[in-house]
Amino acid sequence: MNISFRKPFEVPIRSMKRSQKVFKRIARLAPFCLIIAVLVSCASGRIDPTDPVGENAKQIDGIMRLSGYMATAVGVFVAAAVIYVIVKFRARPDDDPDELPVQVHGNRKAELTWTVIPVLMLVFLAIVTIPAVFDLSGKSDGRTIKVEGQQWWWQFSYDVDEDGEYDIVTANEIVIPVNEEINLDIRSNDVIHSFWIPQLNGKRDAVPGRVHSWRISSPVPGIFYGECTEFCGLSHANMQMRAVVLSDSDYATWVDEQLAPSDVPLSEAAKRGYDLFGRHCVSCHVVNGVYESAADGNANLASGYAPNLTHLMTRTSFAGALYELYKDDGSVNVADLREWVRNAPGQKPARPENRQGMISFAETLSATELDDLVTYLLTLGGRPPLMPS
Amino acid sequence: MAITEERPEILELESGDTSASTGAFARPTHASGWRAWVFTVDHKKIGIMYGAVAMFWFLWGGIEALLIRAQLFTPNGTVLTAEQYNQIFTMHGTTMVFLVVMPLAAAFANYIVPLQIGARDVAFPRMNALGLWIFVFGGIFLNLSWFLGGGPDGGWFAYAPNTGVTYSPGAGMDFYALGLQIAGIASLVGAINLIVTIVNMRAPGMTMLRMPVFTWMILVVQFLLLFALPVITVALILLSFDRTFDANFFNVAMGADPLLWQHLFWIFGHPEVYILILPSFGIVSETLPVFSRKPLFGYSVIVISGAAIGFMGWGVWAHHMFVSGLGPVGVAAFSATTMFIAVPTGVKILNWIATMWGGNLKFTVPMMFSISLVAMFTIGGLSGVMHSVAPADTQQTDTYFIVAHFHYVLFGGALMGLFAGMYYWWPKAFGYKLGESLGKWHFWLLLLGFNMTFGPMHIVGLQGMARRHSRYGPEDGFDFWNAVVSIGAFVILIGMIIFAVNIVRSWLGYKAGTVPQEPADPWDGRTLEWAIPSPTPEHNFDYVPVVTDVDDFWHKKYQPDENGKLRKIADGNEIAQKGDQHPHLPSPSYWPIVLAAALPLIALGLIYNLWLAGIGLVLMLGAMYGWSLEPATDPDAGHGDHGEDHPTAGDDPEAGGNALVDASGEEAPSV
Repeated sequence: MNISFRKPFEVPIRSMKRSQKVFKRIARLAPFCLIIAVLVSCASGRIDPTDPVGENAKQIDGIMRLSGYMATAVGVFVAAAVIYVIVKFRARPDDDPDELPVQVHGNRKAELTWTVIPVLMLVFLAIVTIPAVFDLSGKSDGRTIKVEGQQWWWQFSYDVDEDGEYDIVTANEIVIPVNEEINLDIRSNDVIHSFWIPQLNGKRDAVPGRVHSWRISSPVPGIFYGECTEFCGLSHANMQMRAVVLSDSDYATWVDEQLAPSDVPLSEAAKRGYDLFGRHCVSCHVVNGVYESAADGNANLASGYAPNLTHLMTRTSFAGALYELYKDDGSVNVADLREWVRNAPGQKPARPENRQGMISFAETLSATELDDLVTYLLTLGGRPPLMPS
Repeated sequence: MAITEERPEILELESGDTSASTGAFARPTHASGWRAWVFTVDHKKIGIMYGAVAMFWFLWGGIEALLIRAQLFTPNGTVLTAEQYNQIFTMHGTTMVFLVVMPLAAAFANYIVPLQIGARDVAFPRMNALGLWIFVFGGIFLNLSWFLGGGPDGGWFAYAPNTGVTYSPGAGMDFYALGLQIAGIASLVGAINLIVTIVNMRAPGMTMLRMPVFTWMILVVQFLLLFALPVITVALILLSFDRTFDANFFNVAMGADPLLWQHLFWIFGHPEVYILILPSFGIVSETLPVFSRKPLFGYSVIVISGAAIGFMGWGVWAHHMFVSGLGPVGVAAFSATTMFIAVPTGVKILNWIATMWGGNLKFTVPMMFSISLVAMFTIGGLSGVMHSVAPADTQQTDTYFIVAHFHYVLFGGALMGLFAGMYYWWPKAFGYKLGESLGKWHFWLLLLGFNMTFGPMHIVGLQGMARRHSRYGPEDGFDFWNAVVSIGAFVILIGMIIFAVNIVRSWLGYKAGTVPQEPADPWDGRTLEWAIPSPTPEHNFDYVPVVTDVDDFWHKKYQPDENGKLRKIADGNEIAQKGDQHPHLPSPSYWPIVLAAALPLIALGLIYNLWLAGIGLVLMLGAMYGWSLEPATDPDAGHGDHGEDHPTAGDDPEAGGNALVDASGEEAPSV
């Protein structure tokens, strides 16, 4: 038997060179890693939790980064240990097959160390986390807006005079004043949804039968994008939302405008559209002042509600914030709106035969009738206070 | 209670009378052909069938994954409709959890555990076959939905009330609820069987703390199954009652709280995560020492941390519900418990690295898969700690960051470990190794494809891409990474095709004689399964070995010399048992598969027509009757425990020098 006196920890010089080569190769990869980092930081869409704006979102972002850095540090340590072990302790062709490595069965001190250190790190993380959980819950002194999720759009109701009755009911776009911690009462009218505008705060589920409080605020005016994040059936992917943050004066103007009821239109085409609306749309949709029969819900929809259209044209989007209501040049996006009215289930997956989503009028309405109906819709409300940039 | 050693006289008489069989049917006797498999009660054949069927579903679930990735390759993908997409992601998750990872773990548990504890079979061989066939029929039943109006569309988590008839009018969710119920019976039957086997049938001398870590982890998993499955059973019964009989368990209008479902589902669902990962932790705890030529670092710490995970796993379920409206106290409490379950898991990782530290590492294919588990699972575990920070989770939950996290845990962890197990134990099961070079191609492509697929999901997840969305818009800025992810998924496909090619080529080569027959102990193994020939003889052990150490077989090969230096004193292949004895084995049975086949009939009947359920019920009762009354044993076989065909050391002249044999001839394992 060939007996070697080399200790198992000793590494021949030849393989030291090889391991140096490995590290050189890793060093060469560094620019590539940098490119990835740049790509990551540049890529940003409309929904962007990495760019927090609201106070709550900023608090979350801070704590998330802390946990991310800690996780990365531990990850790098473990990866380095694994790579070191692979490089240093690999079997080599000239190893004596009868020579066993030192048979270590364990080490109490080492094991205690790597139990205690993670415990301390996690205790630190818990100390940071738990107060934040309580900070982020609870109500502020600001006003309260009712948020209702239903397949597949959001409804927002405002009690302006605080008499217990909702005075403004709007859809898909929650309009709030700047610099105010707004309380949300989040509910659902059918299945579970989740309210999420990541630049303002994390998400909160809308659970039928329950009222969940949540807060959002923004220090700057602007439009912030969000979407439903709890799987809610067929068109879950198409249930988007926006928060429109206005200066105090713009917000006051918006409220006054929204409080005004609608009226019978003046032009001939719009008048015909108004009549068609009365025949085909009012069992689900409400226009304050003229068509209010569906205000307390209706049996044609599982959720009971369709968007209130009183001030449709003051919104920037329609159909669950899926389509822009205005083009980049500021003109109305009539083509998409008309196609939506004609055949909604063709534009956004729905199951109207099962009382989920809007029915198609492709067979019911003629081309001129569609034009008239759209003409009427264009008379509902003025212009949005803010346009998407 | 007095336990009598004497047998009742009546049995003595009957066993002598070979013509008097008490059953209505004789037991099957086929030794080859398909009937030898279908009616078998041999834990090895059952294990192999579990594995084969699970790999079929892996292919199926993989196709579902590829369809998802094809749809998301570009913004506004048109490969699938929203309806198809929802069904496919529901079934991808359901398939991979219930029909792939769980049965693959069951495959190893069935095949390896009896060998590691020195047993000739499991405690209840017919129940073992029953578990297999229920799983097979449960999987078929679940997927019948594709041909009967569409798959389930409520997500594998099936949150109420979206899964009620009002919102999911097709039969898909019925198939989900009843299919999982059936699959659950399979796991429950298996759990009881393996617990009894491990507790009662260990070789003499194998105390609990001399048990191989894989067997330990399987034991922990079976207890998790035993307690977790009843919870989902209750939840699924409530769901089925709501859907089939208009009950009001999740009807909000009647005062129900939908969070009931979430609590029940995750009280099952979180232990389920450990049910999926612990078997792989067990596998790498076997492979890393073998290929490092060192004992497991901190055996008892690894075992105890595994058991600790089993206990703590029950106290973290609500971290799936941080945005569901639990209130700050509940969120804070579950946030803290979730953080601290990272401790025993982290200890395991560091102990594995310490096992390799100072070793003599051989980069065989199973070793490469095992090391990749250590590295990839760590990433998944660390992102898991990030979710435990509840405020951060309100941004991360239901985004691709979570999808990335649990695929690093379940693919990078569980599946990598299971592949390690396949390459490691393949020679024991089939007598030959899978090809080394194709195996390395398989490994590297899988590792690359896996990281391409699930690595970028961290990025798009943090950028806000939501899960379970059948599309994303061009304005969302997710295009680039989604394209990378989809390409990665196809790299995984190529890796898996190479795996399939490797299996076929190795098998053909073995048949043709170009792939060598492996000896009993091809890897210089440490545990008892390497002390018997490859492939395993039908009866496993000629002699029940007597165990004196952890890694007992290794200690039979290596002993310290007079200077205390470890020397190889014996070659594993030479001291292994010869496999030339023919002790009595349990007879095959017709009834497990018949009984199992009745369950999908009952389930179909509950969906379509109660008469069909009645037929299924009659078949089930008939099968139970046949099961109870079939002859107690094959009358032609000698009765091992009467001594004549059951050699012990005292009977066998050759056995004197065999260190594995219990010198006293004692048979009963001491618990």
